[in-house]
Amino acid sequence: MLAADKALEEDLFVSFPFAAYIPKTVTLKPRAGNPPPRLQETAAGLLNSIGLANHGIEAFIRDDLPRLEPMPVPVIASIAGERTEDYGRCAAMLDSRAEVAALELNVSCPNVELDGRALGLDPEKTRQATVLARQATSKFLIVKLTPNVTDIVEIAAAAVDGGADCVSLINTVHGMALDRFSLKPVLGHVTGGLSGPAIKPVALRAVFLVSRELDVPVIGMGGVTTAQDALEFMAAGATAVAVGTASFRDPLVAAAMASELGRLIKEHGIGSAGELIGVAH
Amino acid sequence: MDAGLIPAELLQCAVVESRQVGAYRLISFVAPQIANLAHPGQFLMIRLAGSELDPLLPRPMGIHNVESDLVTMLIDPVGKGTARLAAAGIGDRVSVLGPLGMGFRLEGDAPAVLVGGGIGISPLKLLARALAAGGREVRCLLGFRTRKEAVATELFSGVRIDVITEDGSIGRLGLVSDPLPGCLAREPGKPAPEIFACGPSPMLAAIARIARECGNLAQVSVESHMACGIGSCQGCVIRGAGGYLRVCSDGPVFDVEDISWQ
Repeated sequence: MLAADKALEEDLFVSFPFAAYIPKTVTLKPRAGNPPPRLQETAAGLLNSIGLANHGIEAFIRDDLPRLEPMPVPVIASIAGERTEDYGRCAAMLDSRAEVAALELNVSCPNVELDGRALGLDPEKTRQATVLARQATSKFLIVKLTPNVTDIVEIAAAAVDGGADCVSLINTVHGMALDRFSLKPVLGHVTGGLSGPAIKPVALRAVFLVSRELDVPVIGMGGVTTAQDALEFMAAGATAVAVGTASFRDPLVAAAMASELGRLIKEHGIGSAGELIGVAH
Repeated sequence: MDAGLIPAELLQCAVVESRQVGAYRLISFVAPQIANLAHPGQFLMIRLAGSELDPLLPRPMGIHNVESDLVTMLIDPVGKGTARLAAAGIGDRVSVLGPLGMGFRLEGDAPAVLVGGGIGISPLKLLARALAAGGREVRCLLGFRTRKEAVATELFSGVRIDVITEDGSIGRLGLVSDPLPGCLAREPGKPAPEIFACGPSPMLAAIARIARECGNLAQVSVESHMACGIGSCQGCVIRGAGGYLRVCSDGPVFDVEDISWQ
């Protein structure tokens, strides 16, 4: 992911270092997001509790999609629901939009209360949300999963059973930080989601297990910071790799990673990126 | 000028100057792209270049000064990221993205009262120069915990300065906001003085109260933890009068009445 912000827009549109672009998740109604503070850096990690702050899907379609149209790569719209039905309604609204190449169903935001729990913690709710989206659109459907579950393979299988073409994992890991002086929670939302290099082993395991059991492509993410990380995620079974937090560290890191990845694949004597996928199995 | 629409640069620059200024560290690097674009009150996302993962992200820091090709930053080594930067020696490389954010608005001809608290004095140097160059009358109230931090007033030579310390070890004893009301009276034939402030939240809240009571305009530069620095991630928001405000792209400089001070 990278921000299509004015400040960097021109550079990125010329040399966009990714194969696809996923803007921030949108919801049916606008959301102000969680109370600040929303960020805290931890050891090799970043805690956030943004809370899906966004201006709603109508404004996304009206204001953002036209701006994203000149992107040199496919745009994947990410949607989240406060209830299961929202996924069907949002998918229907995006179905006719040519600018949207695929849909990501974010069922895994840890900072949004849905009966106190992310929908993606429950296999049946995950399946239902996917079914509703599947009925509303013929677009390629990606379901983004949370690692905060006992058995992520069970949730992934439910998404595929509901009609997902692909699963994307992992979203952030539940976490919190205390203020070193007051010993009270730092984040306004008290708890948040951890990203960055600290969660890479958690993500790698999830990608490995899900891709071994299921017959759909997996998009791997969670702490991908170097080309070596990308290499390992693909070896663990990811067909594509996403970069989030590392882009905050270096907005152009993915371009360097992509060229370095090609060199690493050759160095390992592997014929192509396709042959790399799942060699760890 | 709409500072937020100026294109930002992502650069790696070698440190050419690194010296202690009391409790703070001053570092300079050559970055003509940034030096040419920098507007007072704008900031950089800056970290020591390299593959170290802890600290992970760059830190947002106000630009202290620019002189031809040279960009100067003033660092208070309070945490891991700032301590690593403060330890940068000559020849070490820093990774910088910027200039970012909306800086101070310089329009008008009112006398300017600049108020800085602690490391918050840093962006006031470039601001004082720009205001003076525009013909504005400038005075600075610079507040510190002790005389050790107050050494940094040497960076403000040529500007009218009042020093205030919390322990009274140099200058006036008290808080930097204490002498402010006495600086705000309107002089005959001139507009009422305008306040420009940067410092910790309690200081800015006190300044907001004083500005309201005395009826002066005030711009304040706010601090927040950031991840992207360019308005995308929504991580750095503060409470505004009409909803959340992004410190990185709506600010970091705000009109005092646009912020919710509750």
